[in-house]
Amino acid sequence: MKMRKILSGLALVALSCAAQADGLESKLEELGKMDHVKVEAARVVKRNELINIQVELANDSTRPQVVFYRFKWLDASGFMVGGEETWKQVLIYGKARQTIQTVAPVPQAVDFRLQLQSPENTVNPSN
Amino acid sequence: MISIGKTSRMALCVATFSMLAGCAQTGSPLIGNGNVSYGDSKGVELVSNEFGSTDLQRLAENMTRSLVQVPSIRGKRLTLADVQNKTSEYIDTAEITKSIRVQLMKAGTVRFVADVSHMEGQTQELMRQNQSGLYDKSKSKKIGKMVGADFRLTGGISSIVKKNSDIKDVYYKLSLELVDNETGELVWADEQEIRKTSRR
Repeated sequence: MKMRKILSGLALVALSCAAQADGLESKLEELGKMDHVKVEAARVVKRNELINIQVELANDSTRPQVVFYRFKWLDASGFMVGGEETWKQVLIYGKARQTIQTVAPVPQAVDFRLQLQSPENTVNPSN
Repeated sequence: MISIGKTSRMALCVATFSMLAGCAQTGSPLIGNGNVSYGDSKGVELVSNEFGSTDLQRLAENMTRSLVQVPSIRGKRLTLADVQNKTSEYIDTAEITKSIRVQLMKAGTVRFVADVSHMEGQTQELMRQNQSGLYDKSKSKKIGKMVGADFRLTGGISSIVKKNSDIKDVYYKLSLELVDNETGELVWADEQEIRKTSRR
């Protein structure tokens, strides 16, 4: 049990380091390239045995932008845990930043993926 | 010469059949003419601005994530109490709390015991096992062993509707609270808001 907690802690430290090192690129799953909305920053911290995530989205256009998002939670083996989340819609005003916060649904979740989709995006038809 | 012609015709037939078979598509295991399809049950539903599936899922998910962070309820027993619907439309509020219960049980942080709505079924089951005379007494579940809940989840959902000739705006607020059954103390409370605006 103690070893499991240590491993879980190490996994989270590695996750936080990875998140800072590669700018969370590996954690993002964009459904097409968002033209106006960018993921500016993300913070990951473990509280009460659950991962807490805060992601900051920035709209660089002058018009309001809609973004759809949801998190996928993975255990230490890379399996999805906590079931499938519902898609959420967030409105970001022109030139504004929007913070989205969430908590892992289960203590087994040690990693995550953020799925993002903006109606105003670019999709390369060859891909 | 004749035999070569026959062979050629046969080869042509075989080749034609092979080509047709190669071009044919595999049949889908679908019954119906394709006018009906399954959609994404987790997608954002905005068919109208009445309370919908996405609202239910979002409220339940957000409330669960808030509840699961309360350390004092870990390993405790909960029941679902009434969530009053104070809106002008029909909302099955029990479905919101049932979704919260499912998600909390998946998280494994709390346990749920029989609430008011399950009490009749629970009592009937115990009576059947103990008083019908059909069961082996040594293997039937005993009366008087039920456990009481430490906390009850209760609350209400309300709405404000505003409309003019162009716009209809609906604002929903779900408030939930967790009450300590022994002390009556409020150990957790949270509220979630939803705004839906539609143009005519």
